[in-house]
Amino acid sequence: MKSALPLCKIRVLDFSHILAGPFCTRLLADFGADVVKVETRTRQDRMGAVKPGDRLKGRSDRPPAYLTTNRNKRSITINLKTDEGKNLALKLAATADVVVENFSAGVMDRLKLGYAHLKAVNPRIIYVAMSGYGHDGPRKDWTSMNMNLQAYTGLMMATGAEGDAPTAISNSWNDYIAGLHACFGILQAFSEREVTRVGVNLDLSQFECSVATFGALLLSSAVNGVPPPRLGSRSTHWAPQGVYRCAGKDDWCAISVQKSDEWRALVKAMGSPSWAAKTEYETLVGRLKQHDEIDAGIETWTGTLPAAEVERSLKAAGVPAERMRRIPEVLADKNGASVFRPLNDPRDQDRLVTELPFKFSRSPVAPLSPAPGLGEHTREVLRDWLGIDEKEIKRLEENGTLQ
Amino acid sequence: MSRIIDLTEHSGAYAARLLAETGHDVIRVEPPEGDPLRRLGPYLGGKPGLEKGSYHQFMNAGKRSLTLNLKSPACRKIFLDLVKSADAVIANLPLPVDEAVLLEARSNLVLIKIEDGEPELCAVARSGLLAITGHPRERPVLLGGHVVYAAIGLHVAVAAAVALYVLKQTGAGQVVSVAAQQCLQALAEQTMVAYTSTGKVTERRGYRGAITAVSGAFPCADGYWMVSVPHTPEGWGKFMDWVKDPVLMEDKALLDEAERNAKKDLILDRLEEWSKKFKKAEIVAEAQRRHIPASPVSTALDLAHDPQLIARGFLTEIDHPLFGKILFPVGAIASVLGRKLELAPRLGQHSAEILAELGYSAADHQALLKTMAM
Repeated sequence: MKSALPLCKIRVLDFSHILAGPFCTRLLADFGADVVKVETRTRQDRMGAVKPGDRLKGRSDRPPAYLTTNRNKRSITINLKTDEGKNLALKLAATADVVVENFSAGVMDRLKLGYAHLKAVNPRIIYVAMSGYGHDGPRKDWTSMNMNLQAYTGLMMATGAEGDAPTAISNSWNDYIAGLHACFGILQAFSEREVTRVGVNLDLSQFECSVATFGALLLSSAVNGVPPPRLGSRSTHWAPQGVYRCAGKDDWCAISVQKSDEWRALVKAMGSPSWAAKTEYETLVGRLKQHDEIDAGIETWTGTLPAAEVERSLKAAGVPAERMRRIPEVLADKNGASVFRPLNDPRDQDRLVTELPFKFSRSPVAPLSPAPGLGEHTREVLRDWLGIDEKEIKRLEENGTLQ
Repeated sequence: MSRIIDLTEHSGAYAARLLAETGHDVIRVEPPEGDPLRRLGPYLGGKPGLEKGSYHQFMNAGKRSLTLNLKSPACRKIFLDLVKSADAVIANLPLPVDEAVLLEARSNLVLIKIEDGEPELCAVARSGLLAITGHPRERPVLLGGHVVYAAIGLHVAVAAAVALYVLKQTGAGQVVSVAAQQCLQALAEQTMVAYTSTGKVTERRGYRGAITAVSGAFPCADGYWMVSVPHTPEGWGKFMDWVKDPVLMEDKALLDEAERNAKKDLILDRLEEWSKKFKKAEIVAEAQRRHIPASPVSTALDLAHDPQLIARGFLTEIDHPLFGKILFPVGAIASVLGRKLELAPRLGQHSAEILAELGYSAADHQALLKTMAM
């Protein structure tokens, strides 16, 4: 018997924009929740706004990043600046299980749609705020952006080697980390609500979500009074481990030698060079101590070969190694079980979207469906959620409430 | 509240920690010599020790510890009794006990299997994330602090929460497979979107001018700070009102972001010189006062005493039996829910208590200890 989608009874009213919030609600949609994205015609979600000069294939009503982030959702437009618009949003919230927003602190309160307002009309509401720093504390009004969060959360100083400048990742790392935390928090709140019969106010902070992933380093710093060592790509547990320069342009291979027999296999694969014959290198302690020297030696070998060849020969020898892949190679990797799958949308070119990176033996997940056009489901949602009739919808359209 | 058996290694530990944060009874089943997480430094107090690993102390907070030698038949029996009493098992592969045996012990078990495959660095290299971490054209680098394990653990936590929800709703358990490699690949999504829609391959952008022309991490008197000057003429004007750099103010063409991009190195070099005079906290406070997006570039030591984390209860003072009064990172979920977490358990701290809950006598426990099975 085919089971129902896990969250098929759950309604999510989604006021979030850009990535942290929309990524969270995308996960909920994948699990079968009815996610309704509230947008305004005058101020659209600018997720992944296209730069002048970018030539895009396929759908052009939304930027590509929006199309990926907001698949499987419905879109309703409401002008939240009008009283009638606010009221309508409040009515939708009254029938929702979850409200998600990632505005700066105070924005939803000013719209009279904050937790206190929604709780008054829906005591069972699970209200999830995902602001940069949280709704209280001395930093609550600080402007937060991904790179600033990478800096403040410790990511840039945890990454890189001793003496390196702050080191970043070129993606919205914190948004994903926060989105996953929020999704987990919401799923847990469902069970909690079964017991308490009331909702919960999850005032999450994107900052704290990311800092939590460095919890161990905070703790060691607190006790030891010094920041943790910056290890670069090395390990404290095995050696040699690193990213080695190969013959091509900006071409690299990661190698992680965890056991002494892997070390011997590496030496053999390199053609047993004389530098590698030192007896100290036979032991992990010796290799950890002489890491710099070993790295230099390894690079005299990798530097003469393309990364793909280094990877191939080391894998054949039983040494853990992977070349650095850029995205075209990730997509072309026939052996790498890909999470990127084509989404079929008659309005669009074949678009890749990201599937969930896990499989349930029993629960189905929602089939992939395209991101909504702006306000595409306004009428449908008003009928489904509130039972509003055609005449009333017309009135709301004409007086600008549904802009 | 569910009972969850935690057999995770590095990449699953954060999932079980999050479940402890939301109040579940998470039981970490460890071999008598302790699990590998206890051996991951840095160590609190500097020297190695089974109770001193910082990852153990953070990741295992709120969990109970039961030691079992799963190679001994007596311990396997206890383990299966425990499985019977549990809602979920979360484990890195390979499983210490066959899947079929686990599901026989409890037919509606939620079993979360984490497939790691490769060492952390290799997995990251393969996923596409390594190619975007570091400075342009320089050696790419692994994301630090084993944050990659936490990212995988977060996916595990979400998968577990869904399966637990289904269990509560329908009474049905299931097996969930989480592939670490796929979790990492999913996080490279933005590079996929950029490439498939514009043909552009995202490269390492480093820390200078990565967002707008005038943005980046700049040195200051006691470390680094980070600023992103908006791309608008007003943003630049507001910034210059503060910096008052005579050379840059003179050049009216710099009101245009394209011009700023063209002269990026000159601008950033001058700003570096300027900001070196200030302390991190002071320069960031002034930028925020002027509504210019800025933040400190924190080390973990800075964060260990951060005022925002203290004000919101993310850092809470505890009296640790080994380390005295310290600020403990409660966690992003527990702090928001206002939950307290017990300290990470000593190895086998709850063995007797859990055995008693399963109906074993103190004499049984003593007998097992004698055979070194626990």
